[in-house]
Amino acid sequence: MDQYLPILLLGLLGLGFTVFSLVSSAILAPRKKPSAAKLSPYECGIVPNREPPQRFPVRFYLVSMIFIIFDIEIVFLYPWAVVFHQIATFGLIEVIVFAAVVFVSFLYLISNGALTWGPPKTLQSGLPARTSDSTISRISAARPEPGEAA
Amino acid sequence: MIASLLATPVNTGKLVVPHIRYLSILPPMIMIGGAVLLLALASLVSRPLRVRVGTWGTVLISGTALGISLWQWTDVGDHGAHTYVAHAVVMDGFSVLITMLISAAMLVTALVADGYLNREGVEGSEFYVLALVSASGAMLMGMANDLIIVFLGLEILSIALYVLTAYNHRRGASGEAALKYFLLGGFSSAIFVYGIALTYGATGSTNLTQIADFLAKNVLLTDGLLLAGVSLLLVGFGFKVAAVPFHMWTPDVYQGAPSPVTGFMAAVAKAGAFAALLRVLLSSFGVISSDWRPIIFGMAVLSLVLGSVLALRQRDVKRMLAYSSINHAGFILLGVESARASGVSASLYYLFAYTFMTIGSFAIVTVLGREGDGDHDLTRYRGLARRQPVLALAFAVLLLAQAGAPFTTGLWAKLQVVFAAISGGSVPLAVIAMVTAVIAGYFYLRVAVLMYAGGDDARADAPQPAGSPEPHAMISFASPEGAHANVTTINDELLMTGEAPAPFGEDLPSVLPVPALTGVAIGLCVGVTVVFGVWPSPLVDFAHQASLLFLG
Repeated sequence: MDQYLPILLLGLLGLGFTVFSLVSSAILAPRKKPSAAKLSPYECGIVPNREPPQRFPVRFYLVSMIFIIFDIEIVFLYPWAVVFHQIATFGLIEVIVFAAVVFVSFLYLISNGALTWGPPKTLQSGLPARTSDSTISRISAARPEPGEAA
Repeated sequence: MIASLLATPVNTGKLVVPHIRYLSILPPMIMIGGAVLLLALASLVSRPLRVRVGTWGTVLISGTALGISLWQWTDVGDHGAHTYVAHAVVMDGFSVLITMLISAAMLVTALVADGYLNREGVEGSEFYVLALVSASGAMLMGMANDLIIVFLGLEILSIALYVLTAYNHRRGASGEAALKYFLLGGFSSAIFVYGIALTYGATGSTNLTQIADFLAKNVLLTDGLLLAGVSLLLVGFGFKVAAVPFHMWTPDVYQGAPSPVTGFMAAVAKAGAFAALLRVLLSSFGVISSDWRPIIFGMAVLSLVLGSVLALRQRDVKRMLAYSSINHAGFILLGVESARASGVSASLYYLFAYTFMTIGSFAIVTVLGREGDGDHDLTRYRGLARRQPVLALAFAVLLLAQAGAPFTTGLWAKLQVVFAAISGGSVPLAVIAMVTAVIAGYFYLRVAVLMYAGGDDARADAPQPAGSPEPHAMISFASPEGAHANVTTINDELLMTGEAPAPFGEDLPSVLPVPALTGVAIGLCVGVTVVFGVWPSPLVDFAHQASLLFLG
């Protein structure tokens, strides 16, 4: 049973920390009702004069996903660098193959315009060209009629 | 403090690069390498890659993998089976046959997908890239000699399949199915890893050979940890092979996924998972077979009965085929349950027969699904023989083969697993399997009769919401002898359910074009099913020679 003692201790430690956090937070937390300024999204003293935008472009998510791909590459490069001398040539070739595979994913992203910030360009042919006239007509078509509920 | 930690020289010990015999891992390397090249090609050309380029590229890649696996076969024949790459992978007859099977399945799927992608107007190479990667994962599962490699293969197989399921982004059902598959699949993978961890805890290794060694040389006084590990592994495998009670995702995902993907998933995922299941259970846990055999027995009975009975209620052909694939999984489990070499070769033969039957069936479903791939109601098959006699004949042959009709591989497959179960001493299981084969025969025959007997002017069945699984709504004619009812009874039964003559698709073309390559794929599947059904000895011998390396 002895070898399970560290697990038990760790469990007790975890439990103790949880109880300590909850109790100290209950004791130390201020009990005043928060004001409107306190509840604003950025509690920096400046009252925001308009609502924050509700939607943001999907490109932000794309960038974070691309970041993760290359982040993982770095994660694998670090241990490789540590043991580089032991697995010399073989390791070098393997890392080059690995980097090439990741690089192809980068090529794919570039070719699909994942990093093209700006007006969307489409690869599909046959779509009508986008002009200011077409945009204006699309906006007027999308605008609800005055009597219609929005 | 962190800085001092980082500055401490890492004591890794002497790293030994294992000797790698590249022949043993060449087929999955070709699949992944080909997929990467295809992706690079698609990225470098200025236009979206034409579907035809992707198709021929995939045919070339999987054809090469097939050729390499033939080379492996002669190598195993000349030099015997061995483990390679620090005993992590094994090259024996079994793994080579699974590799061949998966390469062939990939090749046929590429031919089917060509027509589908052209019809749906999807350009680009992503479909083929994902399918190739997924197939390489299944190959890895077949050749794995280490639980970690099994898991690696499982994940490579699954993650690509989740994306492929959602490939038809214009259909809501496709995305819903993919999300369902992803969430449940991720959960089952986690359970599988937990099983690996517990097994490692109990035996001190993840290597299948070393686990077998440990269990052969040691008697565990308390085997709770090991049994918990094995049962969690069984949950993970059960999910992938769609065995009851881990089958819940199957009908929804099979129905929602694009039809070529469904055929691919049914064939390749099942082949890979069954290969790994057979190897893990028989070569590692053969000593404790008395512990896992009852579990497999139960899973087999449930899969056989639920798969065949619930398929009777389906109005959607894809859901019906999904339940029938659950029934097939039960049959393959018969070979696993017998826990002997004859059972392994029987399961392998069944997988071989099943792969071609199911890819062919889903190829025909793809063609008949029309543009949008959403038209899979049973009533659409009424009178198909009059409109498209060749297609109807092909579908009838494939369905009868799935039912186990003579002169098809389906019969030999069912016979072999049943004989394996009897030789393993599980006579009740064999009896249940044969009874469910008769029940299953009813719903296969129902489609065949619909295609041949129902004319265009026949009355349509009463509309029902497609796919309402009602386990308790048993049908009176589902008794074994009732399912042998002659054709007129079945036809009357079908016509009786109809209420009003419905206009039959006046806005839809009655004759659907069969793309040339899809036609080739269907012909290939029917050919394999019939030729090796009439002349079974080569394939049966092949499966018998494909033995597992460590089977005590």
